[in-house]
Amino acid sequence: MSLIHRGLTFSLRIEESLIPQVNQLLEDYNADQPPNESLCGTFFISWLTVPTQVYAGKEVLPARVIFMSSYVGNKRKHVDTLVNALGDKLRKVFAFSDEYPQKTLDSRSMARFIVKKSSFNAFYSGFKFVSTGSIASESQLRSYIFKWVEKQTKTPAFSSLTPSAIKSAIEKEVEKHPSFSSLMDDPEGIVWSKWKMLAMPGLFVMLMVASLLVAMGSIWWDMGLWGFLGWVLPDFFLLMFLLLVLLRKDENLESPPIDVISDEDYLEIVSREKNKVVNEMTVIAPLKPGRFRRIFLAVSLRLVAMVRYFAYIPTVHTARWLQLDRGKRLVFIATFDNQSEAYAHDFVDSEKRSRNLAVIFSHVMGFPKTTWLIHKGSDYRKDYMKGVRSFQFKTGFWYTLNRELSVENLKNNRAFRLGLNRKMKDEDIRKWLLRL
Amino acid sequence: MAAETINLIQDSELELHDMQGILIRGYGLLPEAKYLLLKFEDGNLARSYLQSLYMYITNGLAKPLEQAINIALSASGIKSLGIEENDFNTFLREFKEGMAEPHRQFVLGDEGEFSAEHWSWGNPSGEQVDALLMVFAHEHEYMEELLEREKKRMEKFGVKLIEALPTALLRDHKEHFGFRDDISQPIIKELAKSKGKGDFPAGEFFLGYKNLYDEHPLSPSVAEKEDPKGLLPVSYEDPSRRDLGKNGTYLVFRQMEQQVFRFWEYMRNQSTSEQEAILLASKMVGRWPDGSPLTLCPNNPNPEKSLENGFNYWNEDRYGLKCPIGAHIRRTNPRDHLVTETSAKDSEEMAAKHRMLRKGRPYGPPLDETLEPLDMMLKADDGKERGLHFICLVSDIRRQFEFVQNIWVNFHKFGGLNNDADPIIGNHFKEGELKTDEFSLPHYPVRKRFKNLPNFTRVRGGAYFFVPGMKAIKFLAKALE
Ligand code: HEM
Repeated sequence: MSLIHRGLTFSLRIEESLIPQVNQLLEDYNADQPPNESLCGTFFISWLTVPTQVYAGKEVLPARVIFMSSYVGNKRKHVDTLVNALGDKLRKVFAFSDEYPQKTLDSRSMARFIVKKSSFNAFYSGFKFVSTGSIASESQLRSYIFKWVEKQTKTPAFSSLTPSAIKSAIEKEVEKHPSFSSLMDDPEGIVWSKWKMLAMPGLFVMLMVASLLVAMGSIWWDMGLWGFLGWVLPDFFLLMFLLLVLLRKDENLESPPIDVISDEDYLEIVSREKNKVVNEMTVIAPLKPGRFRRIFLAVSLRLVAMVRYFAYIPTVHTARWLQLDRGKRLVFIATFDNQSEAYAHDFVDSEKRSRNLAVIFSHVMGFPKTTWLIHKGSDYRKDYMKGVRSFQFKTGFWYTLNRELSVENLKNNRAFRLGLNRKMKDEDIRKWLLRL
Repeated sequence: MAAETINLIQDSELELHDMQGILIRGYGLLPEAKYLLLKFEDGNLARSYLQSLYMYITNGLAKPLEQAINIALSASGIKSLGIEENDFNTFLREFKEGMAEPHRQFVLGDEGEFSAEHWSWGNPSGEQVDALLMVFAHEHEYMEELLEREKKRMEKFGVKLIEALPTALLRDHKEHFGFRDDISQPIIKELAKSKGKGDFPAGEFFLGYKNLYDEHPLSPSVAEKEDPKGLLPVSYEDPSRRDLGKNGTYLVFRQMEQQVFRFWEYMRNQSTSEQEAILLASKMVGRWPDGSPLTLCPNNPNPEKSLENGFNYWNEDRYGLKCPIGAHIRRTNPRDHLVTETSAKDSEEMAAKHRMLRKGRPYGPPLDETLEPLDMMLKADDGKERGLHFICLVSDIRRQFEFVQNIWVNFHKFGGLNNDADPIIGNHFKEGELKTDEFSLPHYPVRKRFKNLPNFTRVRGGAYFFVPGMKAIKFLAKALE
């Protein structure tokens, strides 16, 4: 069973004049949330419309309805789940688009249609390999064991036990409990999922190392046909360098001015964030002018997707970046702890993070200028915040499985569970117990 | 009238003569203070009021020995003075919306007992607060004289005194729960006697100077034509405009009532001895009553370290075994340890972006004159109101004050915790599955959980103000000599 978190994104063109009607439908669906059981394997859904936007001062990018879900496991299975749970709703909304076939699609054709319309997204998850089912069970486990240990400490003898004796007692208690005993084992598929996620970056690194070795070896030996491998590494870097030089030219192009969102409109967007723990934000903006930006961004997003196992963005549950309209539009959504007004700071408050994110956001209208991709100009932070604000959109329909646990809670619950049945030194057991 | 002065700050890179004194000092030598909440009945008269007040306002250059007066304006106050709509719009959104706007209330966690509808001032359905006049004096009689003089001025210019909030400094710089306050403050590079690592550029707290991002903070500005006499400097945002914010700043005011009896009663009920009760209260604050930090003095207070501020958490106390992760000082300034960051350096970098310059003063009589926890624990509830007029200066209300209040103080999941808002100033409640009224003390073999924390504080009033620089006051008063 795959425990890899993924993002599904698909979108259809609609007439801009129909947006109010579609928005109304989405608002209605939002008020009538599907039960969690019907969306097995799904963490989040953001469903919204975006109006026409102008690319490079002349090309009008179409209005769209965009559906984005975060799920765990198999894509086809997830699409089937969506069709079963939201089929009628999806049909009603899609019917507004001329890309949707005239006749109503049955479930199978609908699923095929969705897969066909889905696009690549670079996806990030902050609580990797946790399945939808284990969110609740791991939380209940931690909470149950906490209360159990708390009760045991009423007998002074318990507190004077050694850490390993306490750990054994906890493990016995977990085993005894029918609904938790399965959590004694590592989640099924976790090792396989990790390997699978590491396969791409692993292959990439191996290819580069092999290329380096062959290139070095070819100084002394004739590599025959293998000789071509020696060119892979230099070609890759050459290509990246070339792209960067071309991008540098694009960086000099003046971007058309943006309409800065009014304070009232911004307040209306952020006032929708009413959850106490998890909220969502969507930023959709045309790219800045320049042919090579689109290519550069597409390459960057694929590289980001490749190394996502190693990526870390604090307090973010899931995030994704993707290009629409032949690469001329960037879509970014994130679900995170607390409010977007504060969360947006995470990207600029850390020098390292703002440098990393400039690789993506510097290509987008409204965001500050950079040189050589990562060198920031003056007023970077102010302009960055202006960019985020100006292209933030209202999400008409938002579904979240988990409303109560922060990313740290999810990670902590998982770490506690993984500690069960693991050999640990006393010092580590003490730290493990602090997770309770 | 400028008071007798000492200690002129020499050679500062800051334009101290153009700053109001409150930016530079807390007027510690002037123990008497009153915060007057004012309403302008008439815009024209309000401008004349500012003109008339101008010469009495204390600037940042001198350290007054007898008296000081400073003024701050709320969004409605600025509007009343007749500023153009376009110019008004250049103020920070949070400032314009105000502390009692529903979304701001949500961000600040002001609901239930904390909600603005219960406030005695700053409440949207109550009297509109246009200005805050801060009056300081070295002794009581002098304060009375000053107040008399100021009341006359108000009468003359149609300025209504909504309320005169009293203050009363407590012994040994304590706040009402009996803890030494005012120890940890960010040091401003441009004012520091010697350069130190971790000092803050002035722009973090004052407008018109560079901040930690090496940028000038967003500053309100006016169209050039509005300032024909050229009173104001050129705006950093837009050279075609004039900077109204330079040498000014934003001021956050929250009147926080403290339930001192309830505080010590809770500690006593949760403990087997008075010493244990003091330890628990100290764990909630992060310092012992005398000020010594738990991180450096985990077992007993050490009077020699009562003013100590040179400590960190990452290496010294990552798991909060000495100073709990949820303690008040660890939330409001996590220093070099944020659970969500992967290194001390990253944590420090993040924490630095969310600091504030605290300037508040306590009000009301102490529950016990000694302010000693042991004495306060013996006292019955006297039913009197007391608390802290929390005031802080920031150049960015959202990034600094609101961020801390929202993400660190009231977020019950802060640092991986589950149901814990700030034990001292958090809004503690239960609402279905949502609980914010616990306090966790890391401990072996399992953390100690304190449940059903009542609210030890509650907000009684509040507002966002703008403290204009001296030239900006002149401009707002249209004092065009
Ligand atoms: C009645 C309300 C409050 C009480 C009784 C109180 C009490 C204290 C005490 C005893 C200290 C330790 C002294 C020191 O380190 O200087 C402290 C520090 C601090 N408090 Fe409060 N406080 C209150 C409200 C607030 C509010 C509303 C905020 C901001 C949201 C705040 C932010 C801070 C900060 C930033 C520190 C310094 C922490 C550090 O740098 O280590 N306090 N407070």
